[in-house]
Amino acid sequence: MTAGQWIKSPKGYVTVALAACLLIASIGAFDAKGIINGVVAVAVSVAADIVCALIGKRKRIMPDGAVITGLINALVLSVTTSLFIVAATCIVSILSKHLLVAKKKPVFNPAAFGLLLSVPLFHSGQSWWGAFGDLPAWTIALLLLGGYAVVNRVNKYPQLFAFIGTFLFLLFMMGCFHVGDAADALRPPFINAALFFAFFMLTDPPTSPAKTGGQIAFGILAAVVSAAVYACFGGLMYLFIGLLAGNLYHLLKARLSTGKEYRRGA
Amino acid sequence: MAKMDKKWVALCSAAIAAVYAAGYVTTETEAAPAQTPQQYAQTDVQSGGGWASQADPFGQNGQASKSAGQPGKTSQSKKLYKDGTYTGMGSNRRGSIQVAVTIKNDKITDVEISHFAMHYSESDVVGLPGEVLQKQSAHVNNVSGATYSTQAFEDAVQDALTQAKNA
Repeated sequence: MTAGQWIKSPKGYVTVALAACLLIASIGAFDAKGIINGVVAVAVSVAADIVCALIGKRKRIMPDGAVITGLINALVLSVTTSLFIVAATCIVSILSKHLLVAKKKPVFNPAAFGLLLSVPLFHSGQSWWGAFGDLPAWTIALLLLGGYAVVNRVNKYPQLFAFIGTFLFLLFMMGCFHVGDAADALRPPFINAALFFAFFMLTDPPTSPAKTGGQIAFGILAAVVSAAVYACFGGLMYLFIGLLAGNLYHLLKARLSTGKEYRRGA
Repeated sequence: MAKMDKKWVALCSAAIAAVYAAGYVTTETEAAPAQTPQQYAQTDVQSGGGWASQADPFGQNGQASKSAGQPGKTSQSKKLYKDGTYTGMGSNRRGSIQVAVTIKNDKITDVEISHFAMHYSESDVVGLPGEVLQKQSAHVNNVSGATYSTQAFEDAVQDALTQAKNA
């Protein structure tokens, strides 16, 4: 695969969009710490991915997925997070990608899994700075631009709309009935986090369904679980928990359909 | 799977924008900036004239300093802070913290986090009140991984101290 072909691939689109987020957010904040975190996260993720692939005796070693995982981790973890915690989070993410597998595909979104576990394991602070949460509100337009380009490329509009539509509707209902802190979730930096999550994490092709019906069910489930966790506990982990619930649904659905095909064949 | 038609993409985007707008408007009152914290238990307000230093004893240097009367100008020094318990609020985009700071004889004698509404764990900042007492200052060391909570806590303590200041 040439560089030109790669850049037009889904992973190429996501990598370019995330790298752009890293640069824009760093320039906007006049802070190079995020770039340092990004370089460390990508380097550690790629190294861990190569080591895991060698141990697993994989024929094809292409750590472009690890670059994406490293970038997402760096953009979500606060820029003040120590480099040790950034590296440790990336290692957990890559280990989940290689150890928690079904039919050679990761079960859980590696970045979401690593970031979720990094809270209880490393007490990591997550600011979603790469979603422009600390920049002026108009920068959300840049996030939408990059996000729509990626979603269009990976063909995940049904999933995106099902998730965002359901999530925002549930927040609206929470606001109407004064349940939880819907006001915060609808405003920066939390709305930026939800958009970043929906564009770049939820739509990960290996860990989410391809067919329209599956995408819609996946998006709705992730939104309902995310909103429920937010309403009950607040915090910042609600999106990851929603995504992991969706990942489990995807796994169970794939297993059930395989079982049906097997029974038909028998 | 066929790509979604651009018209459908535009229509769905518009519908989502409408839902978002409805939610935003509905929660507008809840999102109003935190009200100025009220002092709830002020006791033993110091009075007395004379010269008083404008320096902040719980400020940047982290050490409480007593105001010193100048010989010939006044015979009685005035306290910089009124004794009592004051609440202060610190907030940023990640939530807010309210603290109750008790002052006696220009010394911080107690700091309590009375309301924690950050989107992070309260356990991250549980040691900060003790640090304020030890340093006698609103300025504490940044807690790794809890920068926003640390900032909000510092602002809350500083807010309480500002209220306690003698005019």
